[in-house]
Amino acid sequence: MGKMTSAERMHALMMGEKPDRMPVNPFAMGYCMQIVGLPLGDFYSDGKKSFYGQFMSMRLHGYDVTPMYGYASAGPWEFGGEIGFPYGPGHSAPYVKEHPVKSIEDVENLEVPEFKDGKLPGAYQIADDLFQICAKYKMPITFQSGSTFTAASVVADTNLFLKWVLKEPKILHMLLDKVSDMYVNAIEFFAEKYGAENVMPFDGGPVEANTILSPKKFEEFAYPYMEKLHKKIKDEGIRVVLMHPCADQNLNIPYYIKVREKFNWQGKYIWLFGPETPVQDQIDAFGAHDIVCGNVDPPSFQTESYEKCVELCKQNIEEGRDSPSGFILAPGCEFPPGASPDKLMAMMDAAEQFGRYD
Amino acid sequence: MTSKDELLEQLSNAVIEGDEDLCAELAQKALDAGIDPYEAIMQGCNKGMEIVSNKYECKEMFVPEILLSADAMYAALDLLRPHLKVDADAKATGKVVIGVAEGDIHDIGKNLVLMMLDVAGYEIIDVGRDVPVDKFVDAAAEADADIVAMSALMTTSMVRMEPVIQGLKEKNLKAKVIIGGAPISKQYADKIGADGYGKDAVEAVRVVNDMVG
Repeated sequence: MGKMTSAERMHALMMGEKPDRMPVNPFAMGYCMQIVGLPLGDFYSDGKKSFYGQFMSMRLHGYDVTPMYGYASAGPWEFGGEIGFPYGPGHSAPYVKEHPVKSIEDVENLEVPEFKDGKLPGAYQIADDLFQICAKYKMPITFQSGSTFTAASVVADTNLFLKWVLKEPKILHMLLDKVSDMYVNAIEFFAEKYGAENVMPFDGGPVEANTILSPKKFEEFAYPYMEKLHKKIKDEGIRVVLMHPCADQNLNIPYYIKVREKFNWQGKYIWLFGPETPVQDQIDAFGAHDIVCGNVDPPSFQTESYEKCVELCKQNIEEGRDSPSGFILAPGCEFPPGASPDKLMAMMDAAEQFGRYD
Repeated sequence: MTSKDELLEQLSNAVIEGDEDLCAELAQKALDAGIDPYEAIMQGCNKGMEIVSNKYECKEMFVPEILLSADAMYAALDLLRPHLKVDADAKATGKVVIGVAEGDIHDIGKNLVLMMLDVAGYEIIDVGRDVPVDKFVDAAAEADADIVAMSALMTTSMVRMEPVIQGLKEKNLKAKVIIGGAPISKQYADKIGADGYGKDAVEAVRVVNDMVG
């Protein structure tokens, strides 16, 4: 087998065929800006610069995923609150400056943002500036479509939100329903604008992690809205969804399995779990249908040596390489924005040395 | 079991249940019955939060439940603390400066540690979130702190902890440093010269107790 291009490699993976080597998704976002000498904040505040940084980083390193846009604190800006962009020391992603919901009354008065071309709410306009360039290059449109629970937890004051889990379930459901309606609008808009076959919704968040939320409350408050959105995704004819259940979500896995079974989903999920979830557990849960990603511990790329990073990637490759529907080498969350480029090189070198199928 | 023991057990249970109104009611009852407020705090509030901590470790309770327990505990503490005798007040176990590293606004974990240290008898100086290096060092100097506790959720903010440790050393401050948060490990704590590491709020309190002890 000759060496494949990244596009050929990803195509083979999606078609259930063996590529020349396993693809690599370094989940590199803010990191890309150091490659092009731009401040990290530009990744999130300027769609064109964000594309440029990601495109150049992808070409320089030779990894296999195309530019995308999203961040963990999505939601507040779109609902009328305020966010800050990460230009200060220690920053890594946009952060909430003002939550639009600080009371029960705020939930009742909250209006679901509309999606109109050229006038998208909050960061979706920045994202669409990036997507328009992706479309020119025939790259997938990877837009944020969840998670509802994590977005709602920052649309509202987070402490209040978490207390409502127990004290105000009806209000919490009202809030979650409105936030999920924003994502319904996003799914509809991007599927229509770019074509369902060209979009890849990206769903994930950390606030439903089992270090915060019990699986029982996940079932009550997170699952119904995941189901609502995934039904919308299926109804729109979208075929691929990138799922990132962030941090320790081991106790939530049965619900992620359930959402596929519920709609007899015939498309593909790409699962990117945190390092807390053994790769074998992911293969057991999803490997028969879906693509499983690696989950190398992200801080290691910042704190460990090149050699150690290669070793960690090698272990991850060995755990996932025979996953029946394919495997992508990846860290368990975003590649550290401050990691040095040799650590991403370690990931690529490991894939080349130990991740070949030919 | 005496009526005092029963009352304190009820207080402990009310903390576990996160029942704010009942906690306030029982704290007032304890005061009316002439129970030493320090004993009510330690045998009622503190005992209840210790059980909550253990349940969190066993994944029997989660953050929403803990937040309600904390509210309930503070409803009792707010009533009991003004009645502490001076000598009992002097039983503070140590002074802790606590905050989230620069660039990071994620403070749920920090607040859990703060609350557990508070009820364990530490004097707390909360410097908040997104805390610049100098602010940690200045607060430790001003309070003559025994402990500086820092948390970080991001790989970009974790690197702001080491300059704090250096700053404390440069000023020859006695404060020992404990760090924690999602990207932090024991190895990283050792690497940057922290004295302790807590994988969660429960362990953080244990480690601080050992460091001060």
